[in-house]
Amino acid sequence: MTDHHRSVFKARPLAAFALAALGVLFAWTAAAGPQVGEPAPPFAVADTAGKTWNLADLKGRKVILEWTNDGCPYVRKHYGSGNMQALQREAAAAGYVWLSVISSAPGSQGHVTPAQADALTAEHKAAPAAVLLDPAGTMGRAYGAKTTPHLFVIDPAGILVYMGGIDDRATSDPADIPGARNYVRLAMADLDAGRPLAHPVTKPYGCSVKY
Amino acid sequence: MGSQPLTRAQRIRHLLQAPLCALLLLAPLLAWGNPVSTANVTARLLAEHGPAVPGLPLDLLLALDIRPHWHTYWRNPGDSGEAPRIDWTLPPGVRAGPLQFPAPEVIRVGPLANFGYSGRALHPVTLRIPADWPVGEPIAVRAQAHWLVCEEYCVPESAVLDLTIPTAAQAGPSDPRVRDDFARARAGLPAGTIDGAELAGSPSGLRLSLPSAPLGGAPKTVRFFPDAWGLIEHAADQPWRRRGDRLEIDLTPGEAASATDPGGLLVVTEAAGPVRSFTLGVSRVAPVPAPVTAAPAPADLGLPLALGLAFLGGLILNLMPCVFPVLAIKALGLAGQAGLPARERVLHGLAYTAGVLVFFAGLTAILLGLRAGGTAVGWGFQLQYPPFVAIMAYVFLVVGLALAGALTLGGTLMGLGGGLTAGRAGTGAAFGTGALAALVAAPCTAPFMGAALGYALTLAWPRALAILLALGLGLAAPFLALSLAPGLARRLPRPGVWMEHLKGFLAFPMLATAAWLVWVLSVQAGPTGVALVLAGMLVLSLGLWVRERTRMAPVGWQRAGAGAALTGLLLALWLGFATAGPTTAGARLAAEPTRGGLQAEPWSAARLAQARAQGRPVFVNMTAAWCITCLVNERVALNTQRVAAAFTAANVLYLKGDWTNRDPEIGAYLAGYGRSGVPIYVFYPAAGEPRVLPQILTPGGVVQALGTASPDLGQSDGR
Repeated sequence: MTDHHRSVFKARPLAAFALAALGVLFAWTAAAGPQVGEPAPPFAVADTAGKTWNLADLKGRKVILEWTNDGCPYVRKHYGSGNMQALQREAAAAGYVWLSVISSAPGSQGHVTPAQADALTAEHKAAPAAVLLDPAGTMGRAYGAKTTPHLFVIDPAGILVYMGGIDDRATSDPADIPGARNYVRLAMADLDAGRPLAHPVTKPYGCSVKY
Repeated sequence: MGSQPLTRAQRIRHLLQAPLCALLLLAPLLAWGNPVSTANVTARLLAEHGPAVPGLPLDLLLALDIRPHWHTYWRNPGDSGEAPRIDWTLPPGVRAGPLQFPAPEVIRVGPLANFGYSGRALHPVTLRIPADWPVGEPIAVRAQAHWLVCEEYCVPESAVLDLTIPTAAQAGPSDPRVRDDFARARAGLPAGTIDGAELAGSPSGLRLSLPSAPLGGAPKTVRFFPDAWGLIEHAADQPWRRRGDRLEIDLTPGEAASATDPGGLLVVTEAAGPVRSFTLGVSRVAPVPAPVTAAPAPADLGLPLALGLAFLGGLILNLMPCVFPVLAIKALGLAGQAGLPARERVLHGLAYTAGVLVFFAGLTAILLGLRAGGTAVGWGFQLQYPPFVAIMAYVFLVVGLALAGALTLGGTLMGLGGGLTAGRAGTGAAFGTGALAALVAAPCTAPFMGAALGYALTLAWPRALAILLALGLGLAAPFLALSLAPGLARRLPRPGVWMEHLKGFLAFPMLATAAWLVWVLSVQAGPTGVALVLAGMLVLSLGLWVRERTRMAPVGWQRAGAGAALTGLLLALWLGFATAGPTTAGARLAAEPTRGGLQAEPWSAARLAQARAQGRPVFVNMTAAWCITCLVNERVALNTQRVAAAFTAANVLYLKGDWTNRDPEIGAYLAGYGRSGVPIYVFYPAAGEPRVLPQILTPGGVVQALGTASPDLGQSDGR
């Protein structure tokens, strides 16, 4: 009798867990894109030098993904002002691997050859660890990248911890940068302090990714 | 003095001034004025009336004429983009209201969607003029408008629009040059507000439910545009349907679905009518009415207990009318082989058991796979797919015909059917019979099996598999026992002519099952579906009959007969798969009038939540056409005068959900009670916890269940 009772007692959290897992499963399948708190979608994409960057190889490193398109006025807002480059250098200094991703399809705005991408990086004095070329849009779709810029932060365990805009001023006006709340900077600060992120999901803004 | 020669510095200044002057002259034309044309847009600021009257509002209009194929954005621009905005420079006391946005269109960009306008965007805005504004003094309005305009490229543009509005004591007539523009602008604005819209979580995402009455006629297209980013995936399809007096729209949750304000705009087009839009006041409602913690026993079942129950359930399945004939025939076959060596008999029994277990393992794999795929399925889900029902009806027809002696089935023609013919001894046939027994047993959820199955489907896969295999073991046990214990086998009746009679008689349960399946199909696929499956049965029987007649004929004729049978089979399969087309709306059963005078409304989570919020007791009945238990319960318990009187007396709302076809919302409801199949009967008293009724109902039991919640009713029961 007592054994029976014990087994019932033990089964309860198990069943609750299973139900919760089922709920998570539904939630996961219901939403199309990646979820904060879940493993970041895997990718293996070549950079401008032909080197393949695989998320699995970056375990143990903090990663920032930035979707970009040089023709987009919202991207220009942040590169023209030096805001994005400053953030890239700040992230690199804090140990982040910053990967800029170009998902523009061939013939679309922002599509560049590796040489053109390198030239743009040099021209902007940008400081990403690499620029990934994703002309098929595979990586972009896996991440549900919608705008340029659109930013994602991944923790050393490979968990997606932030996705959204660079800041809270959804305009193309560089004058809005000084007063803006930079969500990526806040995410880095929270992650490095071991705090849960105050703003894990925000609205990305800008031009559409030219899939 | 003549003109002094210019100094070098003066010359330079002149040289600089010339283009500067030209620029200053040109600049107003480019950036100031009204209208202003930029590279992609011509912007105008219009006033509706000539002289404005101090103290009265005046409507202005920002009109953007957009270059072909380019677009500007709605207030929620969708996946990218930016809504237009205006920075006003107004005289003291004059105020401008918010920029208004007409109903947008969906502009798809690859996998993304934007909300906005092409061709022309008209944004009304109301200007408030103070009552003490000196009459006759014009009002100078300067609007610095900013907008993003995109084709593939995006260009942020802006213009300074100046407008001087005269004032007078009397309002002037509306300006005929802008009358049409204002009329068009107003036609694009919401026709009204619909209150009572509810947003709930559902297994497939989010479901928006709203009263459909304000929409008027039959909408042709319906789309919900959320006010804010993050609520839904903007590009996702929005399947919608009318259910009773509500319109339901399925939405895919966005990145911040639970943290975002659920309001938005509903845009409706009618067959011949214009586009109309409505502002929606949306409130969130709880996803599944019963919290998981309130679920009864199933969630708390221990694994050994669940395994035991599953085994017992499997045993009982042997007595189900749709399984017993299979077992009986098998036992008959065994009796026919009484002289077989024990080893072969055991092999036979093990093959049968293996057939059952492999089927259950396969079904578990499929079920868990589908569950992982997010499809809300429940036990018996095979019978929710009309072609499956059609094909099962064929199988039972053919088996029935064979048992009745009209056909001789070779073991090779149909693995499953062949296994059923009495006397065939192959272990392969035994395996097939086992699998068939399990296949037909699956939807016959015996009352307490629902609990074991519901429990199993919420578990991690090894445990779910263990429970379903225990169920299969229970199903296979009697036959296995017969083949393992020679003592039992010897007690079986001697073979004789009675076997032929019994075999002939057993054709009728088979044909009855076929008839029942056709009826199930009639609910799922309507008269067309029935016509298709009956035609399929006809051609199949004809083909098999031709084959039967030519069986003893010369080889050429035999080939023709086999060809005819094959043709009949293929035609029948084609007709069977065609039944997937004419699926009727799910509310068939729910709408079926009930004889006992008990009026049912179709179940929806929203309706349930609404009634509960109003403090009205609710009785929920989840049923399906293929669920015999459900139908028996309705006949003998629910549709009786006594129950109807009790329902009326207690003002109970009777909600009936139809699970005949797949319905994720009902799936979620069942899961909320730890069930994966029907029936389930839940009574929600006006106040207090919902109560789950047993799966076998009696009129007294139902009345008592209502009565325990309301003592008065218990007395009225005695009348």
